[in-house]
Order: sequence, then C-alpha cells, then structure tokens
Amino acid sequence: MAGGRLQTYDPAGDNVRRFLELLAGRLTRPLTVSLTACVHCGLCAESCHYFLARPDDPTMTPVWKADQIRKVFKRHIDWTGRILPWWVKAGSVHDDEDLNRLKNIVFGSCSACRRCTYNCPMGVDTGLLVRFTRGLLTELGVVPEGVFNVSRDQWETGNQMAVSEQDYLETLEWMRDEVRAELGDDKVDIPIDRPDCDILYTINPREIKFDPRPIAQAAKIFHVAGESWTLPRWGWDQTNFGLFSGDDRLGAWVARNVYEAAERLRAKRIVISECGHGYRSTRWEGYTWAGFDQRVPTESVVVTLKRHLDQGRISVDPSRNAEGVTFHDSCNIARSGDLVEEPRDVLRRVCSDFREMTPNRRENYCCTGGGGLLSMAEYRPLRLEVAKIKAEQLRATGAKYVCTMCHNCIDGLNDVIKHYKLPMKVVQVLELVSKALVLPEKGGRG
Amino acid sequence: MSDMLRLIENEVQLAALAFLGLVYIVRLIWIFRFASRKERTFAAGSQGAGIRRSLANIAMPWAMESTRKDPWLYAQFVVFHLGVAAAIAATFIIPYAPHVFEIRAVVLLFQAVIGAAFLAGVLRLVRRLVNPVLRLISSADDYVSLVLMILFFAAGFLAVPNDIDRAEWPLIAFFGLTAFFLVYVPFSKISHYLYYPFTRFYLGRTLGHRGAIPQGTRPMSPGKDNERTSRPKGDPR
Amino acid sequence: MPFIEIEGRRIEINEEGFLARPEEWTEETARLLAKAEEGLDDLTESHWAVVKFIRDYYLEKNLAPMVRKMCQATGFTLTQIYDLFPSGPAKGACKVAGLPKPDGCV
Ligand code: SF4
Ligand code: SF4
Ligand code: SF4
Repeated sequence: MAGGRLQTYDPAGDNVRRFLELLAGRLTRPLTVSLTACVHCGLCAESCHYFLARPDDPTMTPVWKADQIRKVFKRHIDWTGRILPWWVKAGSVHDDEDLNRLKNIVFGSCSACRRCTYNCPMGVDTGLLVRFTRGLLTELGVVPEGVFNVSRDQWETGNQMAVSEQDYLETLEWMRDEVRAELGDDKVDIPIDRPDCDILYTINPREIKFDPRPIAQAAKIFHVAGESWTLPRWGWDQTNFGLFSGDDRLGAWVARNVYEAAERLRAKRIVISECGHGYRSTRWEGYTWAGFDQRVPTESVVVTLKRHLDQGRISVDPSRNAEGVTFHDSCNIARSGDLVEEPRDVLRRVCSDFREMTPNRRENYCCTGGGGLLSMAEYRPLRLEVAKIKAEQLRATGAKYVCTMCHNCIDGLNDVIKHYKLPMKVVQVLELVSKALVLPEKGGRG
Repeated sequence: MSDMLRLIENEVQLAALAFLGLVYIVRLIWIFRFASRKERTFAAGSQGAGIRRSLANIAMPWAMESTRKDPWLYAQFVVFHLGVAAAIAATFIIPYAPHVFEIRAVVLLFQAVIGAAFLAGVLRLVRRLVNPVLRLISSADDYVSLVLMILFFAAGFLAVPNDIDRAEWPLIAFFGLTAFFLVYVPFSKISHYLYYPFTRFYLGRTLGHRGAIPQGTRPMSPGKDNERTSRPKGDPR
Repeated sequence: MPFIEIEGRRIEINEEGFLARPEEWTEETARLLAKAEEGLDDLTESHWAVVKFIRDYYLEKNLAPMVRKMCQATGFTLTQIYDLFPSGPAKGACKVAGLPKPDGCV
C-alpha cells in the first residue's frame, strides 16, 4: 500500500556523491535564487528565537545555518565558488560525518518556522532551504531517529501513529457514545465513509491515540449546527511528516490519500482539524507535492466554526470562557498559510477576555516545537533552552489560557509552560467553542 | 584630455559593459533553466498583490521587524545605495553629458550623496568587522566588494567636478575602477540586485497566493462559502 | 545522561524526561517520577490502576496503549484520566509507567 520508499542509512554507501547528485537534481528556481541572493547582511539574525536566546552564538543565526547548504551549492553549482571556492566561502561535504553535522543543523537548530524569511530584505527563503536540505538527508537515511520512525509509520499505516483501522473506528464509536450521553440525544452520529456529505473531516492521529476530546467537541458542534459530515475510513490523517522530513514523496502520498478520500466520497469540502503543519500540508503544499489540482475547497475547522457562528447555526455564550485567553499563531498557519484573523474572530466571540501576545500574527515566535522537533528527543535540551523567548512572551500576557489551533503547538507550548513553570494552560479553539456552546432546547433542531 | 583618459572613459567602459551584459544574459538563462513549480491550489489571496508587495518591501522599512527595530541600519542602506546610483550615473554623465557637471549645484549634490555613501560604506565595513555574526559568515568577496565600493565612492567624489585641468588622476582612478567593477561584478555578491526581483517574485507569488501577504488586506474567509477563492486556470468546474 | 534527584534517589531519564531504561522501572520509580514530573505527591489507587494497565500492556505488546484501551480497562472516563494525570495519557501516565516517549507529534 505504502510503496515503502523510506530510505535507511547505508554506512557503506556512496552517500556524499549521492547527496551532491540529489542537490543538483532537485534545485528549483525559487531555491536557486534563495541560494544565490543572500548578501550576508545578517539582518535575519534577530528574527530567530535560537539566536535571540543564544545571542553569543553566531551559529544560531538563520544565515549561518542556511550557509551550510549554500556553501555546498556555491562549490558545486554556482559559478565563482567552483573556481575560487575560498573567495566566496564555498565548501563541500566530504564524508558521512559532514552529512551528520548538516543533519544536526537543519533538524536540530531550526524549527523551519520561516520567521527569518519574513525578515530578510532580499527575500531569501531560509525556511525553504532548510526543508530542502532535510529532504536530501532523508533520502540518504541521515535523519533523526524520531523522524525516521514516524515517517516509517506514516508510510506503512497511512497515519503517523500507526493506529489500526479497528482502533480508529472503535475510538470514533466511543466518542460518538460520549457525545450521545452528554447531549442525551441518540441521533448524534460520527459517520464513517458516508458519501455526498458537505464536509469530509480529517484529523491528527494524536486525537485517536491519546486525546480524542477534540473529536467529540467537533461532533457535538457539527451535530448542533446540523452539519452534513463524515470521516473517511482511509485517508483521515491530515498531518504529514513529509513536511518535516523534506520528503516530497511521502508528502505527496499522505496528502493524496486525503484528496482521494474526498473524491471517492464525493465530499464537497475537506475540513482539517486543528493542526498547523497538517493545515499547511493538506491545504497548500500537498497539492503541489502530489501533482494534484485542487477540486474542492479545503479549510481548517476553525473556518468551519466561524461559518457556523456567522450563519447563526450555533450560538455561544462568551461568559463561559471568562478567564484571560491569548492566542498563539502557529507558524505553519500564519506564515506559510492564510489564517490570522479568522481564529481571532472566533475567539472574540467565545471568550470574554481575549488578549494578544506581542509579537503576534505573522511575527509570532514559534512554539519551539515546530518542524517536527517534538519527535526528535536528541534536540530537546536546546529546544527548551531557546524556548526562553517564547516563555517570556507568554508570561507577559498574564493570560490563564493560551489558545492555539495546532496539535503540535499544544505539546510544544506545554513543554515550554512546564519547563519555565508558567501558570498557564493550553487550549484549542474547538475546546473553547465547545465550552461556550449554548445547546438548543430539546426538540429543536438537532 | 589624455588619450589614456579618453580611452578609459569610452572604449574600455563600453567593452566592460558589454562583457557584463553578456555574462548576465548567460546567468539569466542559467537561472531560467531551473524549473519552477505550478500552483495547483485555490487562491486565498492574490499572487499579483503578493508580488507587488514583496517587490515594494525594500521601500517599506516598517514592514519588517528587522528594519523596524533598526532604522539606523536601514538609513545606511538607503544612503549607500543612493550613492551607488549617483556614482553609476556619473560614469555616464562625465563622458556623454559633461555639461551637467558644469553646474556647480549638481556637482555639489552628487558629492554630497556620494560622500554620504562613502561614510555609510565605512560604517558597514566596521559593522562587518566588529559584529561576530557577520565576521563568521563573511567571505573575502563580502569584504572586497565592500572595500571596492568605498574606494569607488571616494574616486567618484573626487571625479564628479570633472576638472581635468586640475588633475586627471581622479578620473582615471574612477573609470579604471568602474571598468574593473563591470568585469568583477557578475561573479560577486554585488550582483544581488539581479537576483532580488527573482527571490521577491517567487516569495511574493507563493505568499500572495496564500493570502499571507500583503498583511491585513485580505478579507477574512467569508461566512457563507469559499466563493471568492478563484480556481486555477483550466479547472473544469 | 540527564537525571532527576528526588528523595535522595537518582533516576536516569532521557532528554524528554522519560525513563532512560524502561526495563528498570519499579513502583518506587513510578512514585518518584510522578512526584518529579507530574507534581503528584501521592499516587492513589486510581493512579495505580492506570499505571499498571499501561505497564502490563507495554510489556506484552512493546507499545503504548491507546487512551481508549486505558479507559476500557480501568473504567475511567477520559476526563478522569486527565484529572489523574495533568499532562495527559502520553506525557503523563505513560511517563509514570516508565514507557519510552511515544513516537509522533506528542
Ligand atoms: S526558520 Fe525559524 S528557527 Fe529556522 S532559522 Fe529561521 S527563524 Fe530560526
Ligand atoms: S537577511 Fe537575508 S540576505 Fe541578509 S544575511 Fe539573512 S538571509 Fe542573507
Ligand atoms: S508547532 Fe506550532 S508554532 Fe511551532 S512550528 Fe509548528 S506550527 Fe509553528
């Protein structure tokens, strides 16, 4: 089913030569110009939370990290560096040790949050370069163990936590029963593979394996809103480790599963549960990776909730969320996607004390767990060290809750909160809407 | 005017300019040989608006945190590049429209701009030598290009009065440097202006399409439906 | 190797705060881990029911159980599990039960 294209590291392999071949073969025009255009002005340095937290370590700057692949490009592809390498600081990779070092830089000291991209006067997309380099290394199996394991699970089982179909279905039934009990209404359903629905709902496997509460919250709200919806039996994982590992083939395969599920069930719209990288992968990058022309609207569940509110299909009471709530923009949504005002609009309607953190929106700092870093235990000490920046930003809001529309950010933020002992809790938009939801009188719509 | 100066102001300049043009043409062909990917998603914003905004970024210091937080650096950038423009203009004015520099006010204006750029260049060099981040990443090309620019400004400052009766050497130095530049530039970082439209175009296209830029102008996803999302060309529906 | 020191004992953990060698787990380590990592001063019978189920499941299948299985086996609701282990089933309960960190976005 999977095609099993995950590469394992071969210590006897001709890895350096393959690396250089892949580099030459995969360059696109946007990548090439990002590699040539950097003027070494250093303006991007202070946009990166790694450097902000370690101001005495220039190797934490975006430009230095990107230069580690840039110099190989200069040495082998660009012009001047091929003839006078030292003149432009060009250099090659010589052995697997060099590849490993590169791995520790592009996986270990960057969350691919693209904050630097927005702060480069030249328009150099360092986030893109980092992902590109990750992809080359993944192709050689030079990847952190966690990334390898999760990618393998996603290739083999179609979802990143190796949840079996039976477990998937049983958990959904369980949540259906919970909502039925909560609402005292046997008509509540979590349909599977129902054709011709308005919404195909796709989720993060974490919701099945460890925290299915968001499924119940969505089911409850969809029920009250009279939504016609279904989850697919196959193609339900909207997350995508291909984004983190830089492996476009994995990215294509996982995203295509979702798109094909929508075609198969003739769904009118794909809805993605709250997940930053899942949203970016499924809404934006996946169509490119898969070479699949988008045919149905694809949106975040937050936009769906906003529609329910706009159309008066659900009513909410903000006084039920009375304590201070701040919003953390997920980088994958705000910087590599479109949704910035939508979640705020929803939050303002369901909370009575909404406050911005500073900076916010497209300038927000990463939760520090991005780019798949949560699954790479070896880089955790550095990640928590540089999380200082995030911790200060959170603390300054004085809010009791930090809301985010990303499962990954939840765990990232939870780590920050725990490590820096902040008096805060992480919540998601669905949870707050669900809490504020005013249930219609019995016998009304349902 | 000596033959040497005449030669260096005219034939040598034109030959060097032709060389630069030729290398740039090859370079552009080289860039275009790399594929760019087709956009397959419905737009949430506008590619055109994104591209325009991205290209205009250079003139919007408030748009980026990095320039907003350090207006002093941005000011140096502006002065430096105005100086470049003035000095390049001078290389054409002196041989082809020398009467312009007979106006004293114009000469003073050029000297002011180029002189300020010289100072900005020195400040940038100091920053590059002192700031540990820049020291770590800077290559010989980075230093040499900057030093050459500073010398070029100095020569330009002395050359714009175009007073060959007093001394020819400032002009010889200025045009000698220019010719050298024209040959060196396509192989150095100074060519960044050639790539700027490309990086900005692609970044603006992607982020504009997604509605990530321009910030704050995209209407929120409407309550009713994604009607406003445009479909890619050739979409059957 | 990082470690935590509590009540005069030293427990080796990995970077994620999970037990370094899951096979060395004892009830005493569970109690200490719960105190250090989850802020639980005392493990009640309810805590033990969850922890023991996870532990047995892991020893048998070499895998963290799904939260549904935890609820089924112990009779607790999801909310109760979260009340028992504030960090949740994965980073809370599984950690106390001495499992390695589960793979993926957690
Ligand atoms: S993408 Fe984010 S983490 Fe990576 S270098 Fe840029 S700012 Fe730093
Ligand atoms: S801001 Fe851009 S051009 Fe300047 S050093 Fe960083 S990546 Fe290079
Ligand atoms: S986990 Fe969240 S904040 Fe962090 S990189 Fe992802 S989307 Fe960004």
